[in-house]
Amino acid sequence: MAFKALDPLLHSQLRLAVMSLLISVESADFVYIKEQTGATAGNLSVQIDKLSNAEYITVTKGYEGKKPKTTCKVTSKGVDAFEAYVKTLQQYIKP
Amino acid sequence: MEDKELTPEESLSLINNMIGRARKRYTDNSFYFLLWGWIVTVASLAHYILGMYTSFEHPYIGWTLTIAGAVISAIRGSKQRDKAVVHNYTDKMYGWLWMCLGIAMFTIIFNGQLINWNTVPFVLLFAGVGTAVSGAMMGFKPLQFGAIAFWVLAIVAFRLPEIYQMLLMALGVIVGYLLPGYIMKANAKKHGI
Repeated sequence: MAFKALDPLLHSQLRLAVMSLLISVESADFVYIKEQTGATAGNLSVQIDKLSNAEYITVTKGYEGKKPKTTCKVTSKGVDAFEAYVKTLQQYIKP
Repeated sequence: MEDKELTPEESLSLINNMIGRARKRYTDNSFYFLLWGWIVTVASLAHYILGMYTSFEHPYIGWTLTIAGAVISAIRGSKQRDKAVVHNYTDKMYGWLWMCLGIAMFTIIFNGQLINWNTVPFVLLFAGVGTAVSGAMMGFKPLQFGAIAFWVLAIVAFRLPEIYQMLLMALGVIVGYLLPGYIMKANAKKHGI
């Protein structure tokens, strides 16, 4: 049986970490994701843009008082992609 | 964290690790249990004392405190939501649970006259549902024990006149809200929240 290719958008350390984090919550702030992944703001911003362009997540920019606040939320397309990724991953891992 | 390629094993361990991080946050909801615990204790004891030992026409006056409680809870809840850096499904379900129970309790009390003001047994039953489910969601046993107390007191309350039901109400919230609330607060301090 030929193995399916892993979704290249998810098969990268930081993007996968962001997706795994978002899949288990309703929504999360950029600051929280940065704190949990230990990524630099610049790198995280680039990876979040890639996930958002692929419509795996939605990014909402707003304000909390005077401070800017960026909230990320996984979309149903993102959930499907994540589930497919995990399924494909299982093919590689199963003996 | 770099943006490097992963082996399938590394991917799986990363997924597990990140999902675990999102789940581990301990939420301190003691404020609401203490606020409502004290409001109901004061209101029900005042109701009992005024009704039993005075000729005051409105012994239920203390229950007006619940309006202040509802306003304070709504403002604090909305502020917490705006401030939160992460929104968990557990917190969302928790908010909905108590809002629904609040509406149910309000409906019973608002229509109390139709059941000769025997509202306490029903309110105790609803409070028990709230603490049992909240306790299960948080993995916090004192709230679940509180639920049992609420339900036992509800069974007793169905058999007593309205004025004595006030004493059971006070006892219920002391065991079901205040005690777990103070334990939760102490735990939160221990966790450095």
